[in-house]
Amino acid sequence: MSAAVPAGSRQHRQRQIIGWVLFAVVVALIPFLIADTYSPTIFGNRYTFGLGNLSQAIGMMVAILGLNIATGYSGQLSLGHSFFVGSGAYLTAVLVNEFHWSYLSTLGVVVPGLFVFGVLFGIPALRIQGLYLGLLTFAVAAVFPSIIRLDEVKDRTGGSNGLLIESDLEAPTWAPLGTVTEWLHAIPGVGSRVPDGLTGRQEEVVYKYFLLVIVALVCFWLVRNILAGRVGRALVAIRDNPLGAAANGVNLAAYKTLSFGISAAVGGVAGTMLAMHSGFVGPDEFGFSMAILLIVGLIVGGAGTLHGAVVGGLAIQFVPVWSSQTQTLPGTDVALEGPYGTAILGGLLIIIIFALPGGAAHGFRRIKARLMPVAPQPPTG
Amino acid sequence: MVVLASVLGVFDITLDKLSNGELWLAQFFRGLSDGATYASVALALVMIYKSTGFINFAQGSLALLGVYLAYIFSVEQGLPVAVAVVCAMAASSVVAMFVERVFIRPFPPDHVLPLVIVTLGLLLIIDSAVGIVWGFRTRSLPSMFPSGAPIEWGIAQLTWRTIGNLGTVFAVVGLLYLLLSRTKVGLAFRAVSSNLESARLVGIRVGPTLGFGWALAAAIGTLGGALVVPDLLLEPSIMLRVLIFSLAAAALGGLDSLVGAVIGGLVVGLARNLLVTFLDLSELALATAVAVILVVLLVRPTGLFGSTRVERV
Repeated sequence: MSAAVPAGSRQHRQRQIIGWVLFAVVVALIPFLIADTYSPTIFGNRYTFGLGNLSQAIGMMVAILGLNIATGYSGQLSLGHSFFVGSGAYLTAVLVNEFHWSYLSTLGVVVPGLFVFGVLFGIPALRIQGLYLGLLTFAVAAVFPSIIRLDEVKDRTGGSNGLLIESDLEAPTWAPLGTVTEWLHAIPGVGSRVPDGLTGRQEEVVYKYFLLVIVALVCFWLVRNILAGRVGRALVAIRDNPLGAAANGVNLAAYKTLSFGISAAVGGVAGTMLAMHSGFVGPDEFGFSMAILLIVGLIVGGAGTLHGAVVGGLAIQFVPVWSSQTQTLPGTDVALEGPYGTAILGGLLIIIIFALPGGAAHGFRRIKARLMPVAPQPPTG
Repeated sequence: MVVLASVLGVFDITLDKLSNGELWLAQFFRGLSDGATYASVALALVMIYKSTGFINFAQGSLALLGVYLAYIFSVEQGLPVAVAVVCAMAASSVVAMFVERVFIRPFPPDHVLPLVIVTLGLLLIIDSAVGIVWGFRTRSLPSMFPSGAPIEWGIAQLTWRTIGNLGTVFAVVGLLYLLLSRTKVGLAFRAVSSNLESARLVGIRVGPTLGFGWALAAAIGTLGGALVVPDLLLEPSIMLRVLIFSLAAAALGGLDSLVGAVIGGLVVGLARNLLVTFLDLSELALATAVAVILVVLLVRPTGLFGSTRVERV
């Protein structure tokens, strides 16, 4: 155990920079390691994880990030976040299919569109508080699939069958993904884990992954900046003590609607990302089961923290994938069949609330504080 | 006149449909029947909200478990359906008391959000446990009431099942009212729901009283499930759909009013059947329910009969 490092000192800065560099290296290397699916055998069960799972998880992270703004930071229980995610996904799908836009340019419509939509949604939410709001948003989440299946919009949205999105995201020729893979493959020792070059389909998956990572990083960075300033302080004040916040001059109505607007806009981006990842949107993907899953992710990761969204997104993506591929109880011959993944997520949710109310992000922070203590410095002036 | 005609045209309303009295009556009866089932699960939700101040999202799942037990008792063990349902109600109350003791009581009762989240976790666990144990095959549970219709008027039939559903719900409300106003347990329950701290100070054992509330709510929910299932088929996701309509009913009536739950249930049931038929909105059954709640909540944020909570500054 090392001695406490003063916050803001050179050592502390260095440590932060090392941390970020490590993070960047891991994020950049993963796609090449599992571009060819990664299939470990653990306790007699064979698993197949593809890079696609990770890309989907990244979309979920951004969805949770959006939910975090309304629920985690400003404390308004929203069980209907899937509605915004779904709207973003369908908006992207329709724009790409009918107007032949590129995926990323649809964000120019999705973000402002969903922001306005979230604000409009937030205005009635001002009058409806607490659990009543939770109920209403839950019902709204359940309505989304039936809106998509309406006869009037069926031609556009594909109804129950979902909608295949035409545009293929192909890796541009300037992106040296194949070359990088060959270089990595040439590294003696560890290089053998990396395939020798990429097939066209793999290249597309890897390219999509990097695109999603960049969009996600931009989202997290923007949200972090919004929340670190005046808006973030106002939202947290509203969550912790609405009366106190109002007495100190926070305009409750404006900030609550704003939080719904930002939350919906980020949710819409998540929808675009999910559409980008799978090239398909279906109505039941964005029903209330997704709304509940996002809440699970939010709580398991840690409500009111940005790191929590990352952990939560990984959890709600990989727990079901892992359990659906688990054929027998690890280490035994007992066969497992049925929705164990959902049960595990439910159990995880309850355990986290019991044992670690701040979520996984809080747990990591405590471990980090123990291993690498940082002494806070009073501001000098 | 032209405007009216065009409005009707948009919704594809034909005048002979509107003037078809039998269709009105048929949908009215169906709405009452559906409404009664929503009302019974809404009653269970309201019982929990009254005592603890939060919404038990696992209420539908507890009812689901109860209905599966009723299926086991009646179809597999050969008990008469009514007896099987009563046994299932008893069994599900035991489960609910266990759940309350283990998962709910450790939390401070004034922090609502963690408790709501715990019930969401329970929803996931119980629903998937039912799926794991009994699989996703659909089954049919016989109704507690005889088939056939005593009153027929063309296509409009007032079936025994509708009468039975309505009668059951009104009986449940009546019994609950008597229980809460005339018995000692009921008095304790009302004291706890009105002011937990003071109730504890005058010597009421708060924990067991809340456990009793949970047991009662689970029994009512199971009864509601047993009313719903004969119309649909029994499979693990069935109560989730009912839960949404029941949540709508409870929010509409006001989360802490028993009468409100029943009226809310009937309104949601009627709105669903009448609006959907006459406006031709078959996909929008749920959306109409949501629209009804939204409008009501905007005018009265605590529902039709809910009491306003006054905050002390």
